[in-house]
Amino acid sequence: MSDDEISERISGYIRERFLSGDQQQELEETTPLLEWGVLNSMNTALLLMFIRDELNVAVPPMKINAGNFQDVKSITALVNELARQQQAATPAGTESA
Amino acid sequence: MEFELTAVQQQRYDTILSASSDQLGRESNGPDGYFTRQRWKTAAALGLTGLCLPADQGGGGQSALDTALSLEAFQRGCPDTGLVFAVSAHLLACGVPIRDFASDEVRDPWLSGMADGSLIASNAMTEDDAGSDVGKLAVTARYDNGEYILDGDKSFASNAPVADLIVTYAVTNQKAGFLGLTAFAIPRHLAGVHVGEPFQKMGLTSCPAARVSFRGCRVPAVYRLGDEGQGGLIFQHSMGWERACLFASYVGLMERQLERCISHARHRKQFGRAIGDFQAVSHRIAVMKQRLESARLLLYRGCWLMDRGRDHVSAVALAKVAVSEAAVANSLDAVQIFGGAGYLSPTGVEQQLRDSVPSTLFSGTNEIQRDIIARELGL
Repeated sequence: MSDDEISERISGYIRERFLSGDQQQELEETTPLLEWGVLNSMNTALLLMFIRDELNVAVPPMKINAGNFQDVKSITALVNELARQQQAATPAGTESA
Repeated sequence: MEFELTAVQQQRYDTILSASSDQLGRESNGPDGYFTRQRWKTAAALGLTGLCLPADQGGGGQSALDTALSLEAFQRGCPDTGLVFAVSAHLLACGVPIRDFASDEVRDPWLSGMADGSLIASNAMTEDDAGSDVGKLAVTARYDNGEYILDGDKSFASNAPVADLIVTYAVTNQKAGFLGLTAFAIPRHLAGVHVGEPFQKMGLTSCPAARVSFRGCRVPAVYRLGDEGQGGLIFQHSMGWERACLFASYVGLMERQLERCISHARHRKQFGRAIGDFQAVSHRIAVMKQRLESARLLLYRGCWLMDRGRDHVSAVALAKVAVSEAAVANSLDAVQIFGGAGYLSPTGVEQQLRDSVPSTLFSGTNEIQRDIIARELGL
């Protein structure tokens, strides 16, 4: 999945779940999600489940920090990096369908 | 699938139950009603203050499930729920984060002291405006030349009036919301730490609780737990252990309570018959048993998942809700079964109700637990 696709999926989820659809299209890649309270502890847990279930990327606890979750751009970079690592760690022939 | 305890687990359970009953079974608290250092030391000598702390530091090195079983046996033998709660909070909300996140300089001596009973720890998280919403903490920690300067008030800290160590959480990055928290374990005697007068409480009365204030409190960086910004995760980690293991003590409370109710229903006679012969009473006791056993299974399973490193958040939330609500419901039933005697304080029956009510509040309210369960269901 490309950076653009990951960014779009994550933005879409945040708009729909936490911003009541974001009719004004205010969410940008660099909107400070933690500072503005869009990502609180409950919402971050939901986002982590979305990333796990829909993007098939497990975010280890040590990676859940302010730098990685400050905005959509940083979350996208994290998910992309973890996806590459986790794909590389999967032995050939064992990928799920 | 295996529903029996191993021989080792059963033997440990029986040993703790017997020792707890013999040595801590009769309340002998201080004139103020709070547990004494002597009782704490007795609990420590039984290994109870260090159950899941590393064996190298004098702890029991126990898993979550074994810790839960030990706390269940402790409470089953000891009617002083405040003491069991105080030991559990010390061990789980404080010992676990110190065990897993303290710096090398302080970790081992503090764990040794916590295990041998010479150090009592208190967890200070809750604030006036930050209960369930931990992202709204107001206590701040500003880094300055190898130290953090803490300022602000914690509104409810169990054990604080008698604590030697205080585990606390403060904002180090205002812009990072709940990921801007940092955890600390602070010696009580540091300048700038102030502990208020003990609260008057509904239950758990032998465990003193109070406000904790920090005023320009300079905390050396070696007392930080984990990295800056990891406080939220460290707190969730400690609460995972607390929600799983502490509530086993309420399983022990319900066991003891049920035994008393059965005995009372057999021996108390009205209209020429034991009251247990009346279906109104026997069915009430049957429902108590059903609540206890279903809560127990959920709790053991939550601990079992934790010990295997499996996803356990929802399972532990289910257990917390089930145990706490069973404890409140069963305690109300016990009062009803004992009638007027149950309403009188000296029998200890109404005390169990007052001790059970806070279990639906602490370690994350049951409302928050239901949010977690719903979230895991995709809602």
